[in-house]
Amino acid sequence: MASEKRDKEEEEVKTDDGSPKIKPRPIVQLGIFLVAHSPVFSVVFSAAGVLALLILPLLAKNTYISENALMPGSARSMLSNRDVSDGSKLVKDIKNYWLNHEGQVQKLIGKYMSDMGAEVYYQKFHPEGNQFHPLHFFSGPDSYTLLDNVSCASYGVNVAGIIRAPRGDGKESIVLVTPYDFINGGDYEALSLGITSTLFSLLARVTWLSKDIIWLVTDSRYGDYRPVAAWLTEYHSPSFKVSDLLKCGELNTADTFRRAGTVAAALVLKVDGRSERFEDTLSIYAEASNGQMPNLDLINVVNYLAVHRQGFYVKVEKVVSLLSSSWLKIIGEIFEAVGKLARTLNPDWNFGIPAADYLEGSATLASSLYSQALGIPTGPHGAFRDYQVDAITLKISPRFPPDSKTRQHDFFLRGARLLEGTIRSVNNLLEKFHQSFFLYLLTSPSKFISVGVYMIAFALLVAPLPMVAASLYIEGCKALTKSTDNPTENLKSWKWLDAAKQVFALHLLGFIVTLLPYFICQVPGQHSPRNRSIMWGTTSSSLLLITFAIIPGCSPFSSRHHGTNWAVLKSVTISAAFIGLCLMSIINFATAEIGALLLVPTCLMAQPIKPALRSRRIKSLLGAFCSMVLLTIGFPVMFFAISKGLFGEAVVGLSLGGEFWTWLESLWAWKSATYLYIGMVHLPCWLLCLCILFHPS
Amino acid sequence: MAEEQNKKPCRFWIWASASVVFRLILISFPGNLNLSSRPEVSTPLTSIRRLAEGYWLKQASMSPYAGSMYHGSPLLLSILGPLTVQSIKGQPSHLLCSLVFVIADILSAMLLRGIGQKLQMAYGLNARLLGFLKSSRDKVILPCGDIAALVYLWNPFTIVSCVGLSTSPIENLAVVLALFGAVTRRVPLAAFGFVMATHLSLYPATLAIPIIIILGYGLDAPPIKLFLQTRSVENEKSSTSTVSKQAKSKQTTHLPFLWKTVAHFLFWVLLWSLYVLVLCALSLNKYGGLEEMFKRTYGFILSIEDLSPNIGVFWYFFAEVFDFFRNFFLIVFHVNVLFMLLPLVIRLKHRPCFLAFVYLAISSILKSYPSVGDSALYLSLWALFVNELIDMKFSFFLFCGYLGISLLSPVMHNLWIWRGTGNANFYFGNAIGYACFQIVFVVESVSAMLNHDRALRRSSSNHGEVKS
Repeated sequence: MASEKRDKEEEEVKTDDGSPKIKPRPIVQLGIFLVAHSPVFSVVFSAAGVLALLILPLLAKNTYISENALMPGSARSMLSNRDVSDGSKLVKDIKNYWLNHEGQVQKLIGKYMSDMGAEVYYQKFHPEGNQFHPLHFFSGPDSYTLLDNVSCASYGVNVAGIIRAPRGDGKESIVLVTPYDFINGGDYEALSLGITSTLFSLLARVTWLSKDIIWLVTDSRYGDYRPVAAWLTEYHSPSFKVSDLLKCGELNTADTFRRAGTVAAALVLKVDGRSERFEDTLSIYAEASNGQMPNLDLINVVNYLAVHRQGFYVKVEKVVSLLSSSWLKIIGEIFEAVGKLARTLNPDWNFGIPAADYLEGSATLASSLYSQALGIPTGPHGAFRDYQVDAITLKISPRFPPDSKTRQHDFFLRGARLLEGTIRSVNNLLEKFHQSFFLYLLTSPSKFISVGVYMIAFALLVAPLPMVAASLYIEGCKALTKSTDNPTENLKSWKWLDAAKQVFALHLLGFIVTLLPYFICQVPGQHSPRNRSIMWGTTSSSLLLITFAIIPGCSPFSSRHHGTNWAVLKSVTISAAFIGLCLMSIINFATAEIGALLLVPTCLMAQPIKPALRSRRIKSLLGAFCSMVLLTIGFPVMFFAISKGLFGEAVVGLSLGGEFWTWLESLWAWKSATYLYIGMVHLPCWLLCLCILFHPS
Repeated sequence: MAEEQNKKPCRFWIWASASVVFRLILISFPGNLNLSSRPEVSTPLTSIRRLAEGYWLKQASMSPYAGSMYHGSPLLLSILGPLTVQSIKGQPSHLLCSLVFVIADILSAMLLRGIGQKLQMAYGLNARLLGFLKSSRDKVILPCGDIAALVYLWNPFTIVSCVGLSTSPIENLAVVLALFGAVTRRVPLAAFGFVMATHLSLYPATLAIPIIIILGYGLDAPPIKLFLQTRSVENEKSSTSTVSKQAKSKQTTHLPFLWKTVAHFLFWVLLWSLYVLVLCALSLNKYGGLEEMFKRTYGFILSIEDLSPNIGVFWYFFAEVFDFFRNFFLIVFHVNVLFMLLPLVIRLKHRPCFLAFVYLAISSILKSYPSVGDSALYLSLWALFVNELIDMKFSFFLFCGYLGISLLSPVMHNLWIWRGTGNANFYFGNAIGYACFQIVFVVESVSAMLNHDRALRRSSSNHGEVKS
């Protein structure tokens, strides 16, 4: 951006003086060339950006264990039948418990833990509601205050057992989490307790442990995430007040909350549903809030052990509907053909992959992009990422029904061995995970695209923005210089100030609109999401009208006298969009990529329709039509509806507003930066494009 | 026109009071903003938390400099210290300090306005002398004082450092006070501001040169050659008598340098520094005296002991450099500031106020612990020269750059410190970007000023030719 703007100015100097001065440097000449032919280059670069995004599955590399200390699978498993029978006994006891007693499964689990030699304690927590506080968006996880007056009506109880490492100094620990619903637990959930109990029984007597092991059984009545988050908050920021919760219930929790050093890694284990395949299936979930991922090494270790030692079928989430899409298949076949052709030309060029692989890869990539862009964690592991702990969720689907005793033994053995191997690897670590990538996208459990590769696609996509901004700026300045006869208003290099004022006003409006839901939630009385969305819509649009009325020259319907030159306005808009997109690409790449796909064409195509209609030329009419279509799609609600429609759930009318509100509510409840992006970058830029479209020029 | 003239001051006061109200609103919820812990806002030298700690140590009969917590002036400790412990019930803890900073900001803005009015008058006078105002290309002189004051009050950097409880508003006030004293030729005031600014943050010591030039030669004006040229043209036109020839030969001499005022200034500087030193010695006489103070304030600034990240470029370098090269590089880095003093004074000696702006900007780039408060100061000083710098290049580019960098900085910090997915290079890269933009800004300002002088010369010679 820097060089281009500079070049633009150099050019300006030359024209001002009338006579070309010294010959500019080559890089400056290149910049001038780029700016002068910006329409061509913007088409080329944007197309290249989209193409690069499609090529990404081809560029995925195989994962490898980067940290040598991990040494996965190098030690023989020490699990014995005794451990497995411990686990089976627990599962059986829990089942009996359901038949005979009521509640208090926590006690049973706690007893098992303490029998194995662990320190056990119970943590009561209050499940908090979704609070949206605008100022807490980016603050650290421990900034929110605990509620003082809690009722005993609803609270959860977590059980945690700690095995102290014989070789450690108690400064580091590994956490195992198994969510379990203590009131109405299912059979499959009990299996996850069985696996962990099997492992725990082993870990209680091994000599090689150098990090403490915490087994946390969370109360999944209140969702998977919240109990884990509550436990982590108390683990990291102790409160010195005695909570009222302690007095609630019969369960004696007088014993203190115990800790075991910083958490090196965490594994969340869930068992659910039957596998559709012949093998047991292991699904890995890794996305935490705002597109953060755990270190790739953790996924690698689990994947390696699961595939090469325990024979699980490992998968990550994918967008299933893409697998059957024909256009993607055609693209895959084209890439396959190109790859084959390249191989015949030079045997070293083997970048081609079969079309089926491409299809799988892009479906996985799309899912990876989607869940990162949403910014909502895909499981309880997300809570750990807030404390810089690498964590993943392992969801195992066995291939047998839950009450089959014979298969259960084998299943426990393999599941526990997988966890044992992973814990042994993490146990070897001297430092926290740092060797491998934090910023990556997965195209399969064993293939990834690193930040250096996927950033290229984004960079190509946004590259036209500064170029077009520069060329429009020059154009607009020339036009202004001609139009203003009064020399006093001829502030050569400050003509952008008026346009900047307008852009700033609309961004401020976007900021206020972003904060509005907080106030709407404060409105007394129960309102349905639909009513709330209507309230939001009306307030926002009236605010928009007020902005147009108060600030002269801001509105697209104002008289020509006040209006700024549209080229300068567009230039400033594009610069604002560029800054916003670049910022967002650092906060959450996936959001920025998807946002750029929408916003870049909209910004580039936006131009006043009045001259186009007046001229009645096919080309300009087509351009106006394109920009109107893009603007329609670019409206957030519209885009939401369209993407819903693509996934087969058509929503129309007012219910759409309700759906949209619910969706946004989920975004801000999870502190997703995507919400901020929509409100403070996308919406203002979209409004500005609308202003340009109806500009009275 | 007259109506507009009446409306302008009114609008100025509205905007100025709006900025104060805005500050007061922001002050009322500091816990949520948490600005005082941002590395961009508070440095080891300006952090109010460190000041409170130093005050506490002093109350406990320990040296305020014990434990490398506080590194500011002992006078600031005596003035602001009691305010840090007093809290009004139900109000945020550092409310009184915040109010002090708001008042400091308002005072700075008013002084800037005063400087601007003087400069505007000088600009008008010079333009009339050179014969531009009578010509058809009659330029409206922008009220640079009002603009500079509003730029100071509404600059996000100023607001952030005022609300974020860093002591930089007070340092800025001292600097502006020195310049104001020099511009209005109140020599004791100028000396007081200069001594206080140097005492508080050392780098304004470079301002001695511009202040002396202002006192010696007067305010900013186009190069002296221009006046001679114009006058000679007029003389030739009017008469060719012997008297005018004599006058012409006289005019070739330099502008008179007012040695007396400068000596007066130096005397006052001496007096004020003695006064400040005595006060400091009194306040520190139990805790190691002045030697301790110099070691812990100036020594701390010069030896760059604290390597916690900030928006400057020093911390990263000195965290990386080997210990046995450390002294060498300390000298190299500090000489950078001094290195540019002489060439700049030769080139810009006819514009001492602008020179002061350039010095402040350079020292804020090459400072050991810079914060956004320093940028706020030089940006508003820059606004004093809107009349001359109207043709500045890259304005939009620089604006976008400053905006992008200042938004990027918290993000990079978050990525490094809170998420752990980035590393120190991310934040340092941002700091380098910021330094680059500042350099481009200074270079462009200076070249725009020189171009302005060139344009004056060209048009005055044209003017002369037309007339003759």
